[in-house]
Amino acid sequence: MTLFLAALLPALATGPADADAVKLPVPKVEYRINEASASRSPWIDANGWQLLRAPAHHYYYDVPAASVALAAAEAFMYGAKVDIHTESAGAAIFDRMLQFLREIPERGELPTLANIGVIDDGSAETGELMNLLTRRNLLYRIVAAPDLHLDLNIRLGSQQYPKSEAADPSKLAQKIRAELTDEKRLLRVYGSEVVITRLVGGGGQVRIHLLNYANRPVTGLRVRVLGNYPSWHVAAYDKPDLKLADFTASDGATEFTMPEMSTYAVIDLSKSSSH
Amino acid sequence: MHRRDFLQLATVASACAATPIDIPKYRVVSRFAPSPKPGMPGPFPGKAVRVHSEKSVDTATGSVDAPTVTEMLSRGMRSLTGAKNEQDAWANFFDASDVVGIKVNCSGAPKIFSARQVVGGIVDNLIARGIPARNIYIYERFPDQLTSVRYDRYLPAGINIFAAEASRGSSANYDPNTYVETNFFGEDDTRSNMIRLVTERFTKIINVPNMKDHAAAGVTGCLKNIAYGDFSNVARSHNREKTNTLSFIATLAMVEPLRSRTVLQIMDGLRGVWHGGPFSEDPKFRFYPKTIVFGTDPVAIDRLLLDVIETKRKAEGALSIWDRSIENVKPGRLDPHFGSFIREPGHIEYASRLGLGVYDLQQIAVTNIEV
Repeated sequence: MTLFLAALLPALATGPADADAVKLPVPKVEYRINEASASRSPWIDANGWQLLRAPAHHYYYDVPAASVALAAAEAFMYGAKVDIHTESAGAAIFDRMLQFLREIPERGELPTLANIGVIDDGSAETGELMNLLTRRNLLYRIVAAPDLHLDLNIRLGSQQYPKSEAADPSKLAQKIRAELTDEKRLLRVYGSEVVITRLVGGGGQVRIHLLNYANRPVTGLRVRVLGNYPSWHVAAYDKPDLKLADFTASDGATEFTMPEMSTYAVIDLSKSSSH
Repeated sequence: MHRRDFLQLATVASACAATPIDIPKYRVVSRFAPSPKPGMPGPFPGKAVRVHSEKSVDTATGSVDAPTVTEMLSRGMRSLTGAKNEQDAWANFFDASDVVGIKVNCSGAPKIFSARQVVGGIVDNLIARGIPARNIYIYERFPDQLTSVRYDRYLPAGINIFAAEASRGSSANYDPNTYVETNFFGEDDTRSNMIRLVTERFTKIINVPNMKDHAAAGVTGCLKNIAYGDFSNVARSHNREKTNTLSFIATLAMVEPLRSRTVLQIMDGLRGVWHGGPFSEDPKFRFYPKTIVFGTDPVAIDRLLLDVIETKRKAEGALSIWDRSIENVKPGRLDPHFGSFIREPGHIEYASRLGLGVYDLQQIAVTNIEV
């Protein structure tokens, strides 16, 4: 069965994948408890970096029913054109996610908010670096040349970021985080290592996308955004009555708790009380 | 930065000055002002009462003799406070208006934990003070460990039995506004938050640790139980052979309102673990000190614990808790000649430098009672 995700909102379709479509890995979390690694964090198979690198491409997933909601939400979060192939049991799940995505308030094209600019040379090394930045919620956008409005600009192969450092992308991501400093990060999440974020906004409003890659709910997720945004609206998949908890907007930052989230949530914050 | 945050950072920094190793940078966030007379070290700094009874535990079966424990509690509390009777002894700390949390230790459950008879005896005394059962909480972080003990079968109806993490890693029952922030090893989540019941419900806390070896901290007693047992996301302090327990334990224990509200330490040393702690998978590493230690000073009691564990390990031919040789670190091996981390028993002396109690044995007054 093929489900068609186009023009930001999905639609059910049939037939094989288009010949020009690029297949994406199944989004998921791999818990490698007994495996020695540079990090104790779970491994996340996320496709955000690919979708950001080539947003005009046509992609497709071939996923089990249990991964349909996550795949559809991932595609929506990055505004990608995606077909979803799945088993018949996935159709109802897809429809439910589609209904949720339709109900998210339209905010128009809001620019990506980021701390870091990545000058993408198209190499596998830069791709893997973007993958690591995505997974660690180190917000970046792809730039053609250094953007002085950003806190940090990265070009692999430069004196500051030699290609040799790309051999250990995890260590390189840590170096970038240390140079940026946590204090400057536009968005932080606490209480989960499996939620990936995206931040867009402008004109006194921001939209936060939260995508949970695990197959179980996340409870008590704490979110911090730089800037005072006293008004909020939340849309959470499978949680229609969810309210943000312990909300504060002061001292240059806004914080709130998601009491529970399943796969996906979108939070709109505004500086205007009428928002 | 709030003034309160700054003050706590300054305190940590002064303790670091005398420590010849790197101490992580901590940011403490709390809206609670310290009490003029904080619970730790409390009214009896440098004082510990050790009550021993040979008949308290049947070492063949591991069963605890409840009447003997009741007597040990009575003698210990009277000796600590100087009160003539039990009622007056407990009245030193509690009145009927209190909401009391009893911080048990279940990390070694179901093999070793804060004994039901000890916890039950404490509850009986709180109820005798007029505190309703609904205002008494037995609490831990992890529900699987806590429920395995079945305290509910041994306590009066209405006592709350509460685990902070309904599912492992859940942050829902922690206070988002009371935390310690630090980056140990590049982890993404850099906050450890205090259990919300501590900040929003409890007026007093009784700390009931066991006597155990600890692969990272050297020993786990009063300080480790109250610190790592009341905050989220603390396991991140260990990675490979390195652990930050040296400074993290005391830093957490200092955070208000935990420090001010923890008014009584009752260390359950009826059973102990001399290797492999805080767990107790292999019974050959269990031993029976048959002792309960009373005090308000967690540092003084833990200073005594260091000697208990080190003496037992020495008798068993085990690696010293003070050993810092990297070649003796063999993670995953339950062999007393090796460790999983470089242990940090210095966390107790570090806590004394922050003002949590008395470390110098010469300054600790120990009363020994035999029942």
